[in-house]
Amino acid sequence: MTAMTGRTVLVVDDEPAVVEILLRYLREDSFNVVYAPDGPTAIDLFERHHPDLVVLDVNLPGFPGTDVLRRMRSVRNVPIIMLTGRADEIDRVVGLELGADDYVSKPFSPREVVARVKTVLRRNERAEVGTSPHERRIGAITLDPVAHEVRVGGKSVTLTPTQFKILNVLCSHVGQTLTRDQLLEHVTADGDVFDRTIDRHIANLRLRIEPDPANPRYIVTVLGVGYKMVNPS
Amino acid sequence: MSNRVHEIRNHLTVVVSNVEAFRDGIVDPTPERLTTILDELAQVEILLREISSGERQP
Repeated sequence: MTAMTGRTVLVVDDEPAVVEILLRYLREDSFNVVYAPDGPTAIDLFERHHPDLVVLDVNLPGFPGTDVLRRMRSVRNVPIIMLTGRADEIDRVVGLELGADDYVSKPFSPREVVARVKTVLRRNERAEVGTSPHERRIGAITLDPVAHEVRVGGKSVTLTPTQFKILNVLCSHVGQTLTRDQLLEHVTADGDVFDRTIDRHIANLRLRIEPDPANPRYIVTVLGVGYKMVNPS
Repeated sequence: MSNRVHEIRNHLTVVVSNVEAFRDGIVDPTPERLTTILDELAQVEILLREISSGERQP
């Protein structure tokens, strides 16, 4: 899998005969691998190598894997797959308490571990690419005020600066009716002063973002007051 | 009992990893590796014997 080339995986397990094979499987798939036999080494390597993912045995001698997970997560939200020997650990490990991304029960197949590593990495990377922290999502509409981008059903839509501003204001107040004056306030800042033009801007916006502009599902008219953004789902 | 079961799982993990790696051509089944597998299985056998003798003594 070329997509995973160069990703670094930190493996933390105290059984050398298992680790050796796991590392070989990961290298075979073009991962960079780092290995720690115990908790303190794991924390040290985590800070020095910045792994993209950690495979972590729950039962490490002395310094439990659960503590290792907490320490790592307090530094950064790294994806972690736990190796567990007991069925009764699983709920604790993947549940709310520890929040590992996934787990594999012993006796595990190394191939299975590699497959999970890829799945978790893909899931995390998709999540990172998919949503910028500024992004707003209303139904099929995605608006990113920082990138100045609007997408409808994944397709990019071109808006004028004024249309973008109006949509941004509406998207920040989903479910709330905004008067024409309130909307105008946000638009007039850069000299777009025509009084009743809001209606025209809204009509143009609807043409671009509504599936059926004649029967708006997102930007609805509140008679006698103004407009309101609603989530149609 | 649960500790022994846990240990058995650890030994089996070594066995499964090695055999799977032989099959996938990741490592060669050298005499050393085959000995490792037999040692692990011997440990499993000891643990199973301990568990069953524990069951007989109330």
